[in-house]
Amino acid sequence: MEPLELCYLSAGELSRLIQRQEVSPVEIIDAHLARIEATEPVLNSFITLLPEQARSAARRAEAEIRAGKYRGPLHGIPVGLKDLFHTGGVRTTSGSRIFDTFIPEQDCTVAVRFREAGSILLGKLNMHQFAYGPTGENPDYGHMHNPWDPELVTGGSSGGSGSAAAAGQCTITMGSDTGGSIRIPASLCGIVGLKPTYGLVSRHGLTALSWGMDHPGPMVRTVEDAALTMSAIAGYDPNDIASARVPIPDYTTALTGDVPGLRIGVPKEYFEAPIDAEVARAVQNAFALLGAMGATITEVSYPMFPYAQAISGAILMAEAAAYHRDLLAEHGDKLYPPVRLRLEAGLFITAADYLRAQQVRARFDQQGRELFRQVDLLAGPTEPITAPKLLETRVQIGAQAIGTTAALTQYTRPYNITGFPAISIPCGFSDAGMPIGLQLAGRPFDEVTVLRAAHAYEQATDWHTRRPPI
Amino acid sequence: MAAAGPLTWEAFLYLAQEAGLDVNSPHMQELYAYVQNTLASIEPVQKIELAGAEPDMAFIPRQE
Repeated sequence: MEPLELCYLSAGELSRLIQRQEVSPVEIIDAHLARIEATEPVLNSFITLLPEQARSAARRAEAEIRAGKYRGPLHGIPVGLKDLFHTGGVRTTSGSRIFDTFIPEQDCTVAVRFREAGSILLGKLNMHQFAYGPTGENPDYGHMHNPWDPELVTGGSSGGSGSAAAAGQCTITMGSDTGGSIRIPASLCGIVGLKPTYGLVSRHGLTALSWGMDHPGPMVRTVEDAALTMSAIAGYDPNDIASARVPIPDYTTALTGDVPGLRIGVPKEYFEAPIDAEVARAVQNAFALLGAMGATITEVSYPMFPYAQAISGAILMAEAAAYHRDLLAEHGDKLYPPVRLRLEAGLFITAADYLRAQQVRARFDQQGRELFRQVDLLAGPTEPITAPKLLETRVQIGAQAIGTTAALTQYTRPYNITGFPAISIPCGFSDAGMPIGLQLAGRPFDEVTVLRAAHAYEQATDWHTRRPPI
Repeated sequence: MAAAGPLTWEAFLYLAQEAGLDVNSPHMQELYAYVQNTLASIEPVQKIELAGAEPDMAFIPRQE
């Protein structure tokens, strides 16, 4: 098989070839390293690449599999971690030169679980500095570039994860999502991004942005790969105080291709917010297809949706300022100026404002849970726009010009507030050839239903099979 | 802060100093404008009726 084809196979497809010993992990890693070498000068997805470590791990995996010690579907699969996942012996910068030489002693829990599953760490992925921004800007390690058009943003903050998965540089990548940082780049780069339920995937060993809203999760090219990844990394971790003690199913059992009987609600408020006409059309077409496949699509109302920005903003900014307060005092002048502004502004949010936002959050969550008495999923666009230009601080949506951050987080923040699981999957392309994402959100810990609907839609379309021109 | 009316330049400098920021930095003017926008953006949380609502707590007590 041609090396480039190996780079665009999913983890599910690769695992079947590996298990039958038709392809070796060494071939897979070599193919990906060649792909990275060819595309990295344009994309800038990685902060730290680990070619020798990865080749060595691939040889070990090959030997284990030949000896009959096949560990499971992630054995020998290339993985990249956003550079805020701490990795023992490998530097972890959180996207800032301030931590250019920081080498953690221990792996984060997610890295441990990937290692136990036999995955191979290819490198640490570029990100918006300290995960504090939705575009994928990073002056310290270079901005990230969208594989569908390098003049446009990847989205962020997990921008390197988005571009690496979309361009076939890495089979599985991991991001973290505090206001949309998995789903935004997933939508703008045309891949699948799952923000699991808060507490389902351990945050232990991740640089925090907002303790109450940080969610680690997979960014991959197929829904099957999201399910395979979740089966490996989800589950209780005593090292994470917010980790949930819940049974972990085999998430691949969700991949039935079935949606008949599924009740999908579309909040009418989603289409009262600014939204690009091409995006709205693509998402409406997705609803129509899911309806034709047997799901029931109904309009619902989420009256508190317009308050999501204010609730999330107050909590995120206060928590981020608290977490990074010492860093601000010691290294404020070394931070990317927009990140510095956001962190410093958080110092002006009072305890009363913060707690008020947490009270409103409880109401917002209650309203969301009530909606799930009527429907099984909430559906809508992931983003109101396709990828904007790099460093553009305002975007035009119809007749309205709005801030880029506000636009990109418009539909994603609600599920950081509630902690509900939410996935972005490709549902079309603009006339300019840029990907559009569909967001499906479910009840807490009901990733199975989210994955089931996402997989059924994916199998009925070919959006996920398209490759960027790079 | 958000409910206490507009933030004056003097009050901003006082709070900035209390927060440990260098109030002589030329960056303060830019931060002042940014903070005003930030406080305006979170103002909507003051408008929700919240009788009986307790704050959502981030952490779940350990069970062991």
